[in-house]
Amino acid sequence: MRSDLPWLSRNAAAVGAIAVASVTALAACSSSSTSSSSAGSSSSPSSKAPITIGASLSLTGDFSADGQAFQRGYQLWAKDVNSSGGLLGRTVQLKILNDNSSPTQVQTNYQTLFASDHVALAFGPFSSLLTTPSASVAARYGYALVEGAGGAPAVFSSPANMSAHNVFDVSLPITDEMIPFVNWVASLPPSERPATAAYPMAEDPFADPPVQLAQAKLQALGVKTVYSKIFPEEESSYKPAADQVAATGAQAVLLGSTDVPTVAAFMQAFAQQHYNPKMFICAAGPDQGAAFVSVVGKQNATGMMVPNGWYPGYANPDSQKMVQAYVAQYGGNPSDVNADVAEAYSVGQVMAQAVKATGGTDNAKIISYLHSGVTLSTVQGPVKFNELGMNDSAAAFVFQWQKDTTFRQVLPASAPGSVPIINPKPGWAS
Amino acid sequence: MARQVYQAVVDGILVGGVYALMAVGLTLIFGVLDIINIAQGVLVILGAYLSYVLSVRLHIDLFVGLAITVPAMFVIGVVLQWAFIRRLRGRERTAMTLLVTYAAALIIEGSLYEAFGPDYKQLSAPYVTSSVHVLGFYLPYIYLYGFALAVVIIAGIYALLYRTRFGRSVRATTQDETAARLIGIDTSRVATLTFGIGVAVTAVGGMMFGATNSFNPNSGYDLISRLLAIIILGGLGSIGGALAASVFMLTLESVVDIWSPQWAIAVFYAALVVVLVVRPTGFFGRAPARAQ
Amino acid sequence: MMGTVTRQRIAAALALAVLAGAAVTFPLVFSSPATTNYGVYALIFVTAVSAWNVFSGFSGYISLGQAVFFGSGAYAVGIAARDWHVSGVAVFGLLPLGAAVGAAIAVPFGLVALRVRRHTFIVITIAVFFIFQLMAYNLSSFTGGSVGVSAPFLPWTATTFNERFYYIALACAVVMIVIAAGVRRSRFGLQLRAIRDDEDRARGLGVHAMRVKLAAFALSAAVTGLVGGVWFLYLTQVQPPSGFDPLFDLSVVLMAFFGGVGTISGPVLGALIIEPAQLYLTATYTNGYISEIMLGALFLAVVLFMPRGIIPTAGEWITRLRTRGRPAVPAAAAAAAPQSAGKAAAGDTA
Repeated sequence: MRSDLPWLSRNAAAVGAIAVASVTALAACSSSSTSSSSAGSSSSPSSKAPITIGASLSLTGDFSADGQAFQRGYQLWAKDVNSSGGLLGRTVQLKILNDNSSPTQVQTNYQTLFASDHVALAFGPFSSLLTTPSASVAARYGYALVEGAGGAPAVFSSPANMSAHNVFDVSLPITDEMIPFVNWVASLPPSERPATAAYPMAEDPFADPPVQLAQAKLQALGVKTVYSKIFPEEESSYKPAADQVAATGAQAVLLGSTDVPTVAAFMQAFAQQHYNPKMFICAAGPDQGAAFVSVVGKQNATGMMVPNGWYPGYANPDSQKMVQAYVAQYGGNPSDVNADVAEAYSVGQVMAQAVKATGGTDNAKIISYLHSGVTLSTVQGPVKFNELGMNDSAAAFVFQWQKDTTFRQVLPASAPGSVPIINPKPGWAS
Repeated sequence: MARQVYQAVVDGILVGGVYALMAVGLTLIFGVLDIINIAQGVLVILGAYLSYVLSVRLHIDLFVGLAITVPAMFVIGVVLQWAFIRRLRGRERTAMTLLVTYAAALIIEGSLYEAFGPDYKQLSAPYVTSSVHVLGFYLPYIYLYGFALAVVIIAGIYALLYRTRFGRSVRATTQDETAARLIGIDTSRVATLTFGIGVAVTAVGGMMFGATNSFNPNSGYDLISRLLAIIILGGLGSIGGALAASVFMLTLESVVDIWSPQWAIAVFYAALVVVLVVRPTGFFGRAPARAQ
Repeated sequence: MMGTVTRQRIAAALALAVLAGAAVTFPLVFSSPATTNYGVYALIFVTAVSAWNVFSGFSGYISLGQAVFFGSGAYAVGIAARDWHVSGVAVFGLLPLGAAVGAAIAVPFGLVALRVRRHTFIVITIAVFFIFQLMAYNLSSFTGGSVGVSAPFLPWTATTFNERFYYIALACAVVMIVIAAGVRRSRFGLQLRAIRDDEDRARGLGVHAMRVKLAAFALSAAVTGLVGGVWFLYLTQVQPPSGFDPLFDLSVVLMAFFGGVGTISGPVLGALIIEPAQLYLTATYTNGYISEIMLGALFLAVVLFMPRGIIPTAGEWITRLRTRGRPAVPAAAAAAAPQSAGKAAAGDTA
């Protein structure tokens, strides 16, 4: 064991050093400095300095498709603001960091933005999964976190938000989003209502609540539930589950999906099984514009429905302007614009109105302004926050892909801008 | 109920064929080189993108396009092995190859993002959504072709291993590398060619995955653990075992799906643990020839 | 000869003292929370990788299921805080629960998994990992399902918050390194390495292989569970895919290999380099996908130039440099030892 000698010595030294270290650690801990950079303290030396706004987005990883669409929305908003003279006469500068869809990275990014880059304002990340950790960082630094894609109830009820009340979601609260569809079914004469419905749901805080609520309401209307199951988000294959749904022959399918691949897999399996439900509505996926159509094909998209607060044809002047600007910059046609873009753009608009109203970038003032019950306008329509930062005044619509791959508002049927719904859904391309 | 079970078994067999095509390359590499190729999932996705480029840009049929993607992937595999893995020796070899293949996965994934962006793609062809009606079941052509291809490829690899000189060298290297070297086999060449073949076969798996699922550059990560489970269950290095284990896994999963999709994967992994504890070499594995 | 050893001893002691001083004063010098945040995550991984190494590095059983313990520790602290209504600083009192849960899971896990070896063991750890992730998803009345569990809000400023977590993580890391060094020197550590080199022979020589492996597995799990709890309180939230994260398993293993598996300082160095580098590259090179490609290139560079990991390869270089052709001391000692131990000694430099 002679060869272990250097080891012995090192370990003896290690133990000694560690003892010293722990004592020092304790000492340092108890006398820890309490200085902290507080939000908004980075007020500009000259009023012409740009206003920097920080955000972390998932440019890679699981949420990269949505994250990149969000980035376009933020950038489009900044470009529009700057071309019309900026905010309070100052230009807006975005600083967007990639979080690789990881909570650890998202927390690191916001700390970097707040403590090192000293951004004046903060925009939210993509997904409820990443919004909760980001919100607690923002709470510690005293920032308002205005976001457009963290709508799961858990985001608002997190201890950090209950204490700091600093999260503001400009988008539609998700739970009620299928209600226009349910109301429409109720308005049909009983003979035209679907007799049976299937509810396959991905395991996700975003996807399930609206579908479960719709299921309860449709059952009350006498629509028989023939399939209601939650499947894991990372299935080896969606085919078996989709084939089970097809075998039930349900007349309506309400799919609790989170993304395009889930919807595309169900559609493919249904087509292979020669099964075509009369009504097919998905929690998410068909709202992704070109990203959806290019995967499922133009003809198959027709008749597919999705609930949301916004669509590219929305007759709001701001929204029209944004869609035009998007098409001018990225090409395609209006129906190609992803709903993520509008969500991100609305985040910018809400923040801009708060900055103008409070006359600066003091986050404490912005938080109390946004909680003051004021109604703000965005490309997604009016926004008014409740005490937890949910958008109370958002109205849910249902949209449908119709012929020539146009994406149209169809429900509520009486709402301005709604076009007649395609019912039943046409058959799959063969 | 009985019908539902039959349907689930049919699905399990069909999807199992796709998984077998993705797993065959991994088990071949594992058996001969004794390394875990973490990049396998990303290589599947790379294969899918290669097919995508040929089908969308050049309008080449998915199956015809394999004549181009398979050799292309063979070259990638050979380069990977020759440039990096070949240099690793000694006890840390298994460990360090994990590092190399992970690095390769990162670089390939980053490059795919650079080239194609994050939006999902799917391979399309008339036979992807159409199906044939047999005994009351709709069997999609794409899965039937894929399953047939899986059988052909597995038979082809068996023929290569058991009917050629090269195959003898491979088998000798699998059993005992040192002894193989002593009797004059160029084990380094065997390793390089095997790695190339393993990656080349993955091009087929990639095409099948891309036709039956939508994918983006990040989709490979969910695959690797399932593929590893399959090849261990099948028996390391056993090509036929990979097919048997794929079909077993997917059938079990789709049958449990009837009652609870939520627990289907857990049931599979629990079954895997039980099988391996009883029979550590998997369905068709040999007892290890090498000492521990 | 003795002179060299004494001098080495003094040099080592000095180096360690400098390192310890640097670790302790780090948040005082770099007080920005943006910087201390890197410190917290680096130290969490130093602890987790060293814990992995004490079992996997010493015994040769590569576990790809450490996230089972990490996630369980995180959930244990979170669920206990939620159900017992623990709030404020008292939540730190729940950390030992994370360790206890980690160890309690490791015993049945190990009793099943440790019956098989090599690749089969790896795959069983992966399988158990997925079963745990699914349980976190599916037992939703207990784990919160896909929503997960949130930590109580600690009303500290950003600087204080990070600083306190830095020292908690540092304490965990130091304790783990001391444990690792202690195990390595002990009879227990020797038995583990005997199992790594030839388990059947070790058994023949009277090592109770199962008992030894199980003890190391549980020890490793306890520390991983503990640090999982720290991670949870720092991040303020755990969800099934983040608590039971397959990339965590892979990262831990890669960091250990990168630094040098089976050594004491290798895993520490690997974690200290890779975790901050990964966070920094991802945050910095946001345009395009350069960060991923760069990280991949970094791994490849290490493999090309240091094919056995940083510490063992650097150890070889130093030995070669110092002896300049003469037989080195460890090599001479190793030559006297049985041949398998010779291989081990070469791999265990530093």
